[in-house]
Amino acid sequence: MTDPILSVEQVTKQFVKDGKSTEVLGQISFTVGRGEFVALVGPSGCGKTTLLRIIAGLVAASSGAVRVNGRVVSGPGPDRAMVFQQDSLFPWRTVLQNVRFGLEVRGVGRRQADALCLGLLERVGLGGFGSYYPHEVSGGMRQRVNLARALAVDPEILLMDEPFAALDAQTRELMQMELLRIWSDARKTVIFVTHQIDEACYLADRVLVMASRPGRIVEDIPIDIPRPRPLQVKRTGEFGRYVDHIWGLLEKEVRRAALTVPSEG
Amino acid sequence: MAETAVKARGRRPGRARLPGILPRGRGWRVLLSVLAVAGIWEVSTRTVFTNPLIIVPLSRVAERTAALAASGTLWRDIYTSLAEFALGFAIAAVVGITVGALMAVSDAVHDFLTVWVSALYATPTVAVAPIFIIWFGIGWESKIAVAALLAVFPIIINTEAGIRACDRHWLEVARSFQATGFQTFRMVLVPASLPFIIAGLRLAVGRALVGVVVAEFFGARSGLGLLILSSSQVFDTAALFMAVIILAGFGALMVSLLSTLERKLAPWRAHSHD
Repeated sequence: MTDPILSVEQVTKQFVKDGKSTEVLGQISFTVGRGEFVALVGPSGCGKTTLLRIIAGLVAASSGAVRVNGRVVSGPGPDRAMVFQQDSLFPWRTVLQNVRFGLEVRGVGRRQADALCLGLLERVGLGGFGSYYPHEVSGGMRQRVNLARALAVDPEILLMDEPFAALDAQTRELMQMELLRIWSDARKTVIFVTHQIDEACYLADRVLVMASRPGRIVEDIPIDIPRPRPLQVKRTGEFGRYVDHIWGLLEKEVRRAALTVPSEG
Repeated sequence: MAETAVKARGRRPGRARLPGILPRGRGWRVLLSVLAVAGIWEVSTRTVFTNPLIIVPLSRVAERTAALAASGTLWRDIYTSLAEFALGFAIAAVVGITVGALMAVSDAVHDFLTVWVSALYATPTVAVAPIFIIWFGIGWESKIAVAALLAVFPIIINTEAGIRACDRHWLEVARSFQATGFQTFRMVLVPASLPFIIAGLRLAVGRALVGVVVAEFFGARSGLGLLILSSSQVFDTAALFMAVIILAGFGALMVSLLSTLERKLAPWRAHSHD
């Protein structure tokens, strides 16, 4: 990692509710290289989404710092863009207008913005769908729009919060493949949060495995599978060993969580 | 070919279900319905219900309308009532949207006002018309006050509901793209709540019209309400029906204008009206 674009330095987070403080994240540190694809994987409640939101600047850390290109993050910034979970599109805007949102906020001229966004729609496989409303297209297509909306502002880092979680299995696999294709064109740095182990291993250069109570990184696993990765990679023994290893780490975690709390949190 | 077919199917069905102006090819039913009722009215009043004190043929209403229009008093009455309606409705819209927005963004404002808003929305507020005549006189001020009072509540309630319904996710998206407060208001809060606000305005049309007419009953110098009252006192059934038809036509026109506006401003909502 010669050129870190992002560094997370001893970040902690406590939530206070009813006068009781809960430690959500305890002392998290890692760095991400420029152009790297990093997946954060862990059981629900391990704080992976909170960590992503701290990196995005949507939530403040209780202590520690996040640096992008050496500068401390104090809020959302043009160097990062978030791809949200399902249904964060504006239903009153067409597909094209949704993709254009970030550019409008920045005051980019309509003509220039449209030209750029139409090109992006082609790239995410939505050429010709610009005038549709979100409710008129499928879940997979909506997430393509979501991705295009983030790419439109040309961020250095894409932050993706379980973007394919609500899709059916086949669509999800297709979208994973598409994401890799788009990523290899765009060469962005990606932080991808997911609870799906195989999704993390298939997509990422590195998988950070998280455990809960408090949220922490238990292992940092480089995935040495050459790219491009066709879907068949998922059926190789090498891929299986990565998945088994991570599942082994999480299984302990899931069991412990199931034993210590009455209901899944 | 297949592509265009999908497109056409994907866009139509939602929009077609909105009230107001019907899609192409269905308007004839509305026309037929109007003509049928007019025909039944005309024939039945000439053959069965022939007492002119109770109901008169539609053609008599038309004749009477022409006579009153020629004398000039009809135009003054229409102008008075519509001007009162327009001002009352405008005041209700401005006050209603403002108060509704404040109640949505401030829990304190909501807590202080909500009991009054729901109580006054549910009570027949037209009952205050006679008091308003005493307070504001028999001129246009009292009519505007009654119309505004009646119309303001559905606008408040719908505006508040619309802004509160604005999804947390949408606000977060705006923040993550570093939208300013004003941009978030203009690009997220306003479009998200617009369909609700227009629905409130649509409900308010009928209430404002009722307010104007009833207030005129209790004392006015001109107006369609006064025309209805004075016609009934002199058994001028034709003039009475004329005034009612004008009011009904105007109300229908306003509602369909607002529906058109909603389709223009919020085509995405067409989907969820089903």
